Amino acid sequence: MTDELGEAVVAAQAGDEDAFRFLYRRLQPGLLRYLTALVGADAEDVASETWLQISRDLPRFAGGEFRAWTVTIARNRAMDHLRRQRRRPALPVPVQALADLAGDADTAERAGETIGTEAALALIATLPPREAEAVLLRAVIGLDAETAGRVLGRRAGAVRTAAHRGLRRLAALMERHDPPPAAAPRVTAPRPRPGQGRSASGSAHVEPADG
Amino acid sequence: MSLRRPDGADRPADRSASDRLLDAARAGRPADDPLARLLAAAAAPARPGELAGEEAALAAFRAAPGPAPTRRPGRRRLTVGAFAWIGALAATATAGVAVAAVTLDRGEEPVPPPPPAPTEAPSPSPADSAVTPGGAGPGGAAPSAPGRPGTTSAGPGRPTDPGRSATAELSGLCRAYLEGPAGKREDLLDTPGYAPLLDAAGGAGNVEPFCHDLVPDVGPGPTPDAHPTRTTRPDAGTKDAGARNTDR
Repeated sequence: MTDELGEAVVAAQAGDEDAFRFLYRRLQPGLLRYLTALVGADAEDVASETWLQISRDLPRFAGGEFRAWTVTIARNRAMDHLRRQRRRPALPVPVQALADLAGDADTAERAGETIGTEAALALIATLPPREAEAVLLRAVIGLDAETAGRVLGRRAGAVRTAAHRGLRRLAALMERHDPPPAAAPRVTAPRPRPGQGRSASGSAHVEPADG
Repeated sequence: MSLRRPDGADRPADRSASDRLLDAARAGRPADDPLARLLAAAAAPARPGELAGEEAALAAFRAAPGPAPTRRPGRRRLTVGAFAWIGALAATATAGVAVAAVTLDRGEEPVPPPPPAPTEAPSPSPADSAVTPGGAGPGGAAPSAPGRPGTTSAGPGRPTDPGRSATAELSGLCRAYLEGPAGKREDLLDTPGYAPLLDAAGGAGNVEPFCHDLVPDVGPGPTPDAHPTRTTRPDAGTKDAGARNTDR
C-alpha cells in the first residue's frame, strides 16, 4: 500500500533483517487483533505461525498488496487452528470463537466514553462473523473493500454491505448502552466467560484513543 | 449472537457513510463520534504486548530459506555495483567462456565435506555457508546458504570485491533455483530476489542452462519441499530446532 511498506518488502526479500523487523512492527498489531476475533485467546500462537509462514514464503511473494497477502496467511492459519481444535470441518467463519469472545456485556457499557483498543475489539467481535471480519479487515488491517473481498473470497459489494451492517449494529449497541445501564436489558452476553481471552478481564485499563 | 435487529440505529446512513468511517479509521484520522472513536480505538497503534513475538519472528526470518539475512549497510551499494559486473558475466557466459567463471566460482566454494570435527565456528555466517558443502547435501531447506560464500568465505584474506560476491550470489540463486520443486521454479523467478539471475541469464528461458553451467554439481531436487535430514553441524541443528519450536 504505502511505498514505505513496499520498499521494506523488497528489502526483506533481499534478506534485510531490519526491513523485516519494520514489517513485523507495522503489521503484527493488526494481524493479532484480527486473529483475536477469529480464534480468541490463541491469537498469539496463530500469529507466530503466521509469521513463520511469512518468513518462509516471503521470497515467493510476487508483488501486490502485502497486507492482503499476510492477512490471508493469518486467516488460513486461523482456520487450520480452529479445524484442529474442533475436529470437525471449520465453518466458513468461526461463529463459536466469536461468541466466546463476545463474553461480557460490560464492554459495551464501557464503550460509550473513551474506549480502549481491547474493549473496541471485543465489541466488534460480538458482531456476526462476516460483519466482524469485514469491519476488521477494513478498519484495522487497512484494506479497501476490493482487497478485503479478495481475502474473504467475496465481492467488494458484499464486503461493503457486511461492514455497513456491522457498523450499524455497533452504533445501536453503543447507543443502547449509553443510557444508564440499569435500564438496558442485557442483549448480548450469551454467557460470561471470565477465563476466556483477555477481553473480559483485561479491559480495566482503558486507553484514551482519540486523537 | 442475539443481536438480530439493531433497532434505532440510523447511522451510518448508508454504505458510503460506512466506507468513509472505515477509511477514516484506516487512515488514522481523528474521530468525532462514538462509532468513529470505537473504530479508531480498534485501529490504534501497537500496544507493547502486541509486539512480544518480534524476536521469534526474526529468528524465523533468519532461519528461513531465501537470501541470507544481512544487516550490512553497504549491501545495497555493493549490489548496485555488482550489476555492471553481472552484465559482463552474462556476456562471458553466452560467449561460451562460462567455464572460466565456473572454475573461478568453484574455487571459492568451501572445499568438499569439511571433516565432521565441529570446532567452535568463528562466526555464524561461515558456518551457514558450510552447511551445504558441495551442494550435494540438503535440498531446499537452506538453498541460499551457499549463496554468499564469496563474501563470508573462510578463504584467507579474500577481499570482498563486487565481482566475487556477484558470482557467489548468482550461484546461490542458481542452487536455490535448481533445487527448488519443479513446479515452483517459475514462481521463484518472479520474485525480485531473482532479478539478478534473470538479468544474468538473459531471460527466464535461459536460466536453467545458465545455472547448469554455473553450478554443474547441483541437480534438480529429488524430493522437493520435503525437509531433508539435517546436517550434522551442531550449530545449524540448534538454529533449525529453534525455528521448529515456533512452528507449532
